[in-house]
Amino acid sequence: MAPNTEFRSKIQVFEPHRASLPPLIPYLKEFWNRRSFAIELSKFADKAEYLGSKFGKVWLVLNPLLLALVYFLLVTVIRGGSTKVNGLTTLAHILIGLFTFYFASNCISAGAQSITSGGRLILNQAFPRALLPFSSSISSFQTFLPTIPVYIFVIVVGKFFYPATQVPRLAWSFLWVPLVVALVGITGFGLALLFATMNVYFRDTNKLLTYIIRIWLYLSPILWQPEMLHGWHRIALYANPLGPVLAATSNIWINGKTPTISEFIGAFAWAFGSILIGGYFFISRERDFAVRI
Amino acid sequence: MRSESKAPVVMPEELAIRIEDLSIKYKINVDTKRTLKNAVMRASKGEKVRMRTVEAVKHLTLDVAHGSVLGIVGANGAGKSTLMRSIAGILPPTEGRIIVNGKISTLLALGVGFNPALSGRDNIILGGLASGLTKDEIVEKTEAIADFAALPDGFIDMPVRTYSSGMYGRVAFSVAVNMTPDILLLDEALSAGDASFKEKSFQRMRELCAEARTIVIVSHALATINELCDSAIWMHKGSMLAKGKPEAIVDQYLKFLDVGALPSNFEDM
Repeated sequence: MAPNTEFRSKIQVFEPHRASLPPLIPYLKEFWNRRSFAIELSKFADKAEYLGSKFGKVWLVLNPLLLALVYFLLVTVIRGGSTKVNGLTTLAHILIGLFTFYFASNCISAGAQSITSGGRLILNQAFPRALLPFSSSISSFQTFLPTIPVYIFVIVVGKFFYPATQVPRLAWSFLWVPLVVALVGITGFGLALLFATMNVYFRDTNKLLTYIIRIWLYLSPILWQPEMLHGWHRIALYANPLGPVLAATSNIWINGKTPTISEFIGAFAWAFGSILIGGYFFISRERDFAVRI
Repeated sequence: MRSESKAPVVMPEELAIRIEDLSIKYKINVDTKRTLKNAVMRASKGEKVRMRTVEAVKHLTLDVAHGSVLGIVGANGAGKSTLMRSIAGILPPTEGRIIVNGKISTLLALGVGFNPALSGRDNIILGGLASGLTKDEIVEKTEAIADFAALPDGFIDMPVRTYSSGMYGRVAFSVAVNMTPDILLLDEALSAGDASFKEKSFQRMRELCAEARTIVIVSHALATINELCDSAIWMHKGSMLAKGKPEAIVDQYLKFLDVGALPSNFEDM
């Protein structure tokens, strides 16, 4: 049989490349070419999850909203009560902090399971495995998006009753929001790659992650303001992968200010550090996944 | 994943797959469950993890021409599925090299990537995207795939969890053969479906061959190997014991299954 000429351009070579990265340019090209798979996978995963449950997606917004109210009550009770004006600021700070934190933690916890739960897909198809945690990050972003209007609604209503509060309705600082959200997403995706790989080797990573995320939440500037830390205590803020970016978020939404240079440097460093370390850890081991799941 | 070769790639035009001295080894943990808790416990006691190295494929060299159908027979644990996964680029070679010339479509694990909560139609789209098609391409093919699967009325829009195992297999097979692959890899995929679907599947595979597309089949149904393939190999404990016409290979393999006789050339090795 005469060979079909269209075959000639599709030569693929599979060779050993132990303990190191595969050639990155073809990998990233393949990743980019198949991005629609990750996008559709996230849509279908959402569809499957909330099929037959009309309020399913609403709960994703309601959950952090109700949790924010509980934390707000807790914080104001511990402080021994606060003025109504400061009260709205505290609520706004907890709300936007919690929504942002949930975006990152959803990326990580869903991404961590994406490889171990993608078993048959991994055994049957060759594709850049990073698409699976990427798909989880897309889902987390789609869950995060509707929380922004919810936040704005709470602030608009709150300011109607307490117009003297410092929280701005609209500010130029909001122009920084897309960049800061992108940095949260990159950090979340990078850490998702790290934990997804760990979960392949140690199946209880995911259980441990639940506790890590809970402790991480308390260590993050959500229930407390970043300004509360002074001097060397501020190390606690910058040693936290989400610390600088949450401080930047608070500055934008609550103070109506441009984030500080150190917040930007911290947020960029954690985002690129996470994606580089997580990416290296994941991609250098992903060819092992098919024999380990 | 695809890798860029450092050694020059020599691939005659008539070949679809060239396997050069391929070996695949991997380590498996034979002890306890792989958990962080166990790892910490073991480390505290100073114990090491007992690992076993599995040599799934040993020094295999093989060429497969465009337009041919290759059958692979062998007992369980012979390395057939590992070989198929390495041709698909899923499992990395430990030694040697695989050169593949063409777009691959695979059916290596039944019901691949199928989400049971979604409809058959949604799963077809997902399966197509996973194998590298664009959304438009797969949407265009969805009707043809659904028609080929020939599910009972309305089932294609029902959740896959309501399917029988035969229906499940038919959808998976339809997706794999309708991707217009240059190389189709099928691992025990023909066991799905009834007699009429099997005949339809054979017909579709003959059409693919007529278009100079290549098929590699792993099957324990030896009659299928005889009927469809124009060459076959017999794998045993990771090595290729024999290669030739399917009838001859199947005969040797059956003899081995009956009386445990290995081919003479292997005994000499």
